[in-house]
This record gives sequence, structure tokens and C-alpha cells, in this order.
Amino acid sequence: MPYDIVVLIKQIPDLELIKVNQSTEEPITDGVPFKFENLSKNSVEAAVRIKEKNGGKITAVLFGNEKGTQVMKEAYAMGVDEGILITGYSENNPVLTAKVLAQKIKQLHYDLVILGNQSADSMSGMVAGLVATELNLPLLSNAVSIEVTDKIVKVSTATEKDVIKLEATMPAVISVTQETNEPRFPPVLQIIKAGKKSISTEQSTVKIENTSKIISKKAPKSERKRLIFEDVDKGAQEVAKVLKEAMK
Amino acid sequence: MKFLIFSDIEDSAKQVMSFLKGKGDFVLYTTEKGESLTKYGAQKIVLLTGKPDVKGISSLLSDEFSSGGYDLVMIASTVLGRDIASLFSGQKSIEVIPEIFDIKFNSGTVTTKRYGLGGKAVIEEESKSKLFTFLSGLSDDVPGDGSSPIETKNIPEGVVKILAIEQKKAKEVNLEKANIIVAVGRGLGKIEGIQQIEPLVKAVRGELAGSRPVCLDYHWLSEDRQVGYSGRTVKPKAYVALGISGQIQHIAGMRGSKVVVAVNKDKNAPIFQEADYGIVGDLYQIVPKIVSYL
Ligand SMILES: Cc1cc2nc3c(=O)[nH]c(=O)nc-3n(C[C@H](O)[C@H](O)[C@H](O)COP(=O)(O)OP(=O)(O)OC[C@H]3O[C@@H](n4cnc5c(N)ncnc54)[C@H](O)[C@@H]3O)c2cc1C
Repeated sequence: MPYDIVVLIKQIPDLELIKVNQSTEEPITDGVPFKFENLSKNSVEAAVRIKEKNGGKITAVLFGNEKGTQVMKEAYAMGVDEGILITGYSENNPVLTAKVLAQKIKQLHYDLVILGNQSADSMSGMVAGLVATELNLPLLSNAVSIEVTDKIVKVSTATEKDVIKLEATMPAVISVTQETNEPRFPPVLQIIKAGKKSISTEQSTVKIENTSKIISKKAPKSERKRLIFEDVDKGAQEVAKVLKEAMK
Repeated sequence: MKFLIFSDIEDSAKQVMSFLKGKGDFVLYTTEKGESLTKYGAQKIVLLTGKPDVKGISSLLSDEFSSGGYDLVMIASTVLGRDIASLFSGQKSIEVIPEIFDIKFNSGTVTTKRYGLGGKAVIEEESKSKLFTFLSGLSDDVPGDGSSPIETKNIPEGVVKILAIEQKKAKEVNLEKANIIVAVGRGLGKIEGIQQIEPLVKAVRGELAGSRPVCLDYHWLSEDRQVGYSGRTVKPKAYVALGISGQIQHIAGMRGSKVVVAVNKDKNAPIFQEADYGIVGDLYQIVPKIVSYL
């Protein structure tokens, strides 16, 4: 049977391109381009694989800013059918993010909601559970594999100690890990086609009380010596000396 | 101040109890049987039995929180812990500060530290939050000589069916205790490569570790050897990174190392920014050379 799937995706600054302001010690995010968050790609891939086998429709919801259209186009190229961009994201706040997403999801038809377990930038790991609570749905998280038959979804979750097999009746919320799958690189033709597809955009109206105040946001201190040897022999000698010292 | 702690991992439970010692009373809720957990000064240990349903555990904790006179909740950032914390936050409509690696208690507020931007920033914030998930490595493990009473409680079943639980391989290693760590990344290329790294590990009496893909994706090493944000946090005297590119999530787990050595064939690899000593080249040539000079 076909499944309607909502995938929750995220745009993040390209972390590798972030430089540090030497006087304030703060990371500079202004002007850093956004990219498709890693786990969001795994989520889209998981949804597309289900659709390829069973049919159905994939709707992606992205809570971010205007620049999110680029990410949405990539999601289209991977196989997403419809994209909804909600603007108004200011900073990492999982409770707010979950409320914004859940409010939108409630207006859609779906059998499954799929998202990443921990995003590559804020890494909070909170959104899946919060969305499941808002929607009052079963949570199957940290999936390393997903299996669907009729209205039943089975998931294998890898914890630090066990592999747990879970089962729930749809609709359900599933979070995936980066080991779930290898996201596809869509062919150029698909990317060009995706560029023409429309994206519905709206502004978030959800407000919540937030008691936390940021005191500082600095780059972690790194006072490494950075002695880099291209002469392998000299380097090996120096490193051996250092290791002998550490063994004492 | 009274803390409710949850951890399904022994190490994290010990670390947080060591950290909280002297800062207030605490009760540990855990799915781990370990007798050794009783030596850390908890008022009591509540052993949760039955299937580890995250909704069931979060409902149970949420009831205990309401009736037990607790002020703050500290949940270990593990696969189950993060789910439990997020469900708890949702159920109670309270804000959560996730993934903290430091916390100070002021009057009425707390000051916490966590990583942002995938580890490129340390966010220090003040809040009235009562719920936190904490990273492994919060504190050293300092056992005392108390002996906390153990109580058991059954986890209520939820709507998600738990069909099977398969234990993964038992933990092989305690990386936190290693003096020298030799870590390999995807640059190793193949599982057989491990054999060529072992002489170095032996020569420095070190422990072998790896990046996430090496441990979780390819299983070249067991999962308890994964260093990084979602793995172990280590602070050895020397950390040797072989064929590891140095993505921030990896760095987050080894930043506290005293000396960092990196070997990578790409001279622009970010790991060299986080290294004291770096050698540019093929790890398969360089490792035997280092061994020969030891
Ligand atoms: C939420 C989240 C949590 C994460 N947690 C972790 C974590 O805990 N730990 C972790 O490690 N990662 C983690 N990651 C993944 C991380 O982003 C990187 O994908 C990972 O660290 C890359 O591993 P690597 O350096 O081994 O591989 P790569 O990035 O592929 O690097 C391989 C390196 O090897 C070099 N190389 C290749 N061949 C040779 C050779 N013959 N000799 C010398 N050098 C060679 C290459 O130049 C390259 O620099 C996490 C990601 C996310 C999103």
C-alpha cells in the first residue's frame, strides 16, 4: 500500500567554512552559506526508499529561513514531492522547533513522520520526542532500519548496548541515524527540474517562553602547537620522542 | 537541592554522581544492575525492570519527579536517554537544555555549557531550566565508600511494542583510562589495516580507538572504541589520529587530550589544526617508521 510521509528537514550553516573572529573568539556565521543538514538527507533517503517500493507522497517541512529554498530544491531532486518552508528560525530551541513543526504536520495527511535523530549542528536529539508528544504519536527513534507492511512499521534501534526491535501502528514518528542509509546524489537533470518546482513558504507564528539567556558563544580554545612535518622521517622521529615522553 | 538522575549506562551514572557529590541529594534511576553503582552516595538507586520502553520510563520519571520533591533532572545523553528526556520535556511542558558538559548551580538559575554549531562553539547560558541531558565525560569517576539502598520499579508498557532485545558485544575497553590512544579513521581503508597499526599500539602500551564510521558503519573496531561527540570523551596524555580528517564531531571527543599527533595524507585536513605534531603522508608508511624510532 502507498504511504504518505512527512519528512522534517533542516538547513544548517556549512560548519567547515566557519572561521573564528580572533579578537572576540566568536565563530563567524555571517555570510557562511547554508547546506542540507546531514541527518536530514538520511531522512529524505529513508522516505524515498519507502516510496519507491510502495508508492505514496512525500512532503518535506523545513523550519528555517528564506535561504532554505536551496535545501528544499535538493530535497525535491532526491524525490520529495512537495515542500513547505516555514521561516522564522532564529536559534536552536528544540521545544519551539517541535511546536512549529507539529502545528504544520497536523494540517497534513501522513502515515509516517521521519526526521534525523540528532542534527549535525545543534545535536540536541530532542526534536523527535517532542514532535511525537505534540502529535501524541508513538516514537520509534534512532532507527538503523525501517520496514513497513500495511499499517505496521518495524524499526531496529541501536542503543549503546543493545539492538532493540520495535513495532508500532501508523501513524508514527521515526528518527533515523546516519548509519540508516547512504543518501543518494541526485542526477543533474533532476536538480535542474527541481529548480523549477514551487515551494510554499509561510512565516512561523508560534511563540514560547524561553528562560535561557546566552552568556557567551565562543569557539572552543585550541592552543595546539601545529608543528606539521612534510618530511616523513623527521616527523616520525619527533613523534616517537613525544610518545616516549607520554609513556613515562 | 535534590536531583533525579537517569542513566542506562554505568559510566555516565558514575560520572554524574561523582559530579553531584556535595552539591545536593540525588537518586539514580537506572536499567543497569551494577552493584558498583551503590558506592557513589545516591540516597537510593531505583532499578527499572521490564522492557526499556522510552515512553514508559519517561512517564515513570515524570511521576516520580512530581511526587518525590525533586528540583532538577539530569538524564544521560544516550540513545534511550535523549528520547526519555524529550518525552519528559514534552509531557511536562518544561524546557530542556540538552547535551551539557558543565553545569553550575546559582540561586534559582543554572549556568550550563554545551556545544553549538557542531562543536565550533561553546554556548554558555543561564536558565531556569530543570531538565538536562549530559554528555559522557561530565566528570571523573570518583567512587566513595557509601552503600546506597536498591529499590526496583517496573517500567509501564507503552504503545510501542518491543519485539526483541539483542545484546551487542560486551564492552572491551575503558578508553577513559588509557594513557595513550591510537585512533584510526576511514583513511585506514580496510579492516586488515588494523594489524599494521597494532605494533604501534603495543609499543606505546596504548589503546586502539576509531572515528564513528570505523566503529559504527564499518565495524572495523567495536563500538565502545568510538571517540567523539556521540562516542567516548577522552583525555589521554597523547592522542594519535591516523587517517582521521578531524571533523568537529570527532574533535569534540578528544579535545582534552594533552598532546595530539595527526597523520594524514591530505595536508589541508582539519585535523592538523587540532594537532601539536602532524605528519603529512601515508599512514601505512609512517606508522612503521614511528615504531622504529620508539
Ligand atoms: C550528530 C553527529 C554525531 C557524530 N559523532 C561522531 C563521533 O562521535 N565520532 C566521530 O568520529 N564522528 C562523528 N560524527 C561523524 C563526523 O561528522 C565525520 O563523518 C567522521 O568523524 C569522519 O570520520 P573519518 O575522519 O574517519 O573519515 P573521513 O572524514 O573520510 O576522513 C578520512 C581521512 O583519512 C585521510 N586518509 C585517507 N587515506 C589515508 C592514508 N593512507 N594515510 C593517511 N591518511 C589517509 C584522508 O585524507 C581523510 O582526511 C558525527 C556526526 C554527526 C552528524
